[in-house]
Amino acid sequence: MNEYLNRGIKEIIEEFPEVEDVLNDYDIGCGPCSVGICLLKDIVAIHRLPQDQEQQLMARIAKVIHPDKDIRIPQAEKKVLTRSEEFNYSPPMKKLVDEHVVIKRWIALIPEFAKNLDVESEGGRRLILDGIDLIRSYADKYHHAKEEDILFKYFDEEADIIKVMLQDHTHGRALVKEMLAALEKRDAKTIAANLMAYRELLTEHIRKEDEILYPWMDNQLSTRQVGELFAKFDEVDRQIDVSPGTYEVFIAQLEKKFA
Amino acid sequence: MDKSDGCPGSRMMNFKKAAEMNTGPAVGKIKSQLTQWPIQMHLINPAAPYYQGADVLLTADCVAYALGDFHRDYLKDKSIAIACPKLDQGQDVYLEKIRAWIDDAKINTLTVLIMQVPCCMGLMNLARQAADGSKRKVPIKYVVVGVQGEILQEEWAAA
Repeated sequence: MNEYLNRGIKEIIEEFPEVEDVLNDYDIGCGPCSVGICLLKDIVAIHRLPQDQEQQLMARIAKVIHPDKDIRIPQAEKKVLTRSEEFNYSPPMKKLVDEHVVIKRWIALIPEFAKNLDVESEGGRRLILDGIDLIRSYADKYHHAKEEDILFKYFDEEADIIKVMLQDHTHGRALVKEMLAALEKRDAKTIAANLMAYRELLTEHIRKEDEILYPWMDNQLSTRQVGELFAKFDEVDRQIDVSPGTYEVFIAQLEKKFA
Repeated sequence: MDKSDGCPGSRMMNFKKAAEMNTGPAVGKIKSQLTQWPIQMHLINPAAPYYQGADVLLTADCVAYALGDFHRDYLKDKSIAIACPKLDQGQDVYLEKIRAWIDDAKINTLTVLIMQVPCCMGLMNLARQAADGSKRKVPIKYVVVGVQGEILQEEWAAA
């Protein structure tokens, strides 16, 4: 079993598809992950299951991998979900979660926004640019930069879970580039397709961060580090060119428009 | 466990048997993690060098007696002040000192440790009030300790 702990989860699921169902039973959704390079042992550690559930999960996976072996599956207490709203984030992590709320409001508007793209008029193109700017300036330059330049530096940046997040950021930037190129060509269809792809990417990315990455990181951070992060994020907030409130106003206007 | 009626903060309880059972492994002498003096809230100077940029513990007097691993788990690498929200006089001075920690000494974090008894909530409220009146914001953590040394609650307050 030990050799499987150090293997990528996608590889294990490919070889033993039933493992995905076992993980799903514990709300560990590795199946839809586009990258899947996390090692099985890291996935178990990151999801912070109660000890009895972790033992049960591992026994069930072992049973799938070695069906011929006599593996006893221990009973576990009733499942306790670790949803983001139940987790007591430290103040710097709470800041990041609150920024996600703004991004999620924008993501929720994307289907309607994408349906109503006007690439012909000056005002229509301005509106599309404002939407893309929210992704570039708020979600990426402001929020993702806090993660990449500050938060992730407190951890091993070679850890698979962080690599996955960085790949998501890179993917998001590529989609924005596509949107801008399509806007130049007044190609509404490509802009819409990229906006929808961005929506899908960020929905899953935020869920992974809120429910898995941030709680895991919070459990690793010392009190000293929590204070340092809080001060560093505060410094970023003070130095930002455009007030984050500007983007919230933009979103509120769109929410009114598409209500 | 014996108990009498009245205020939970001063109700008589006896958990000698439980304490005898908690002998744990012998690990030799436990080194003190205290790195400053004085520690009583009326006696401390919030501008003292050991509070500058520090992670500060504001601890109810009884906590260190109840919590067996207080030095190792909480005091290590932190500066401290102690107070009793039930018996201490002149607590408006405490309010000013906490504000001075946050605004002037620019402390990094504040951890408030209290006992589970209701009167101890006063220390938590004092910290909240001081933080609300401060210009700077710092992460504040609240820890509630049971009378037999168990951690009942440990959470960060909304900044």
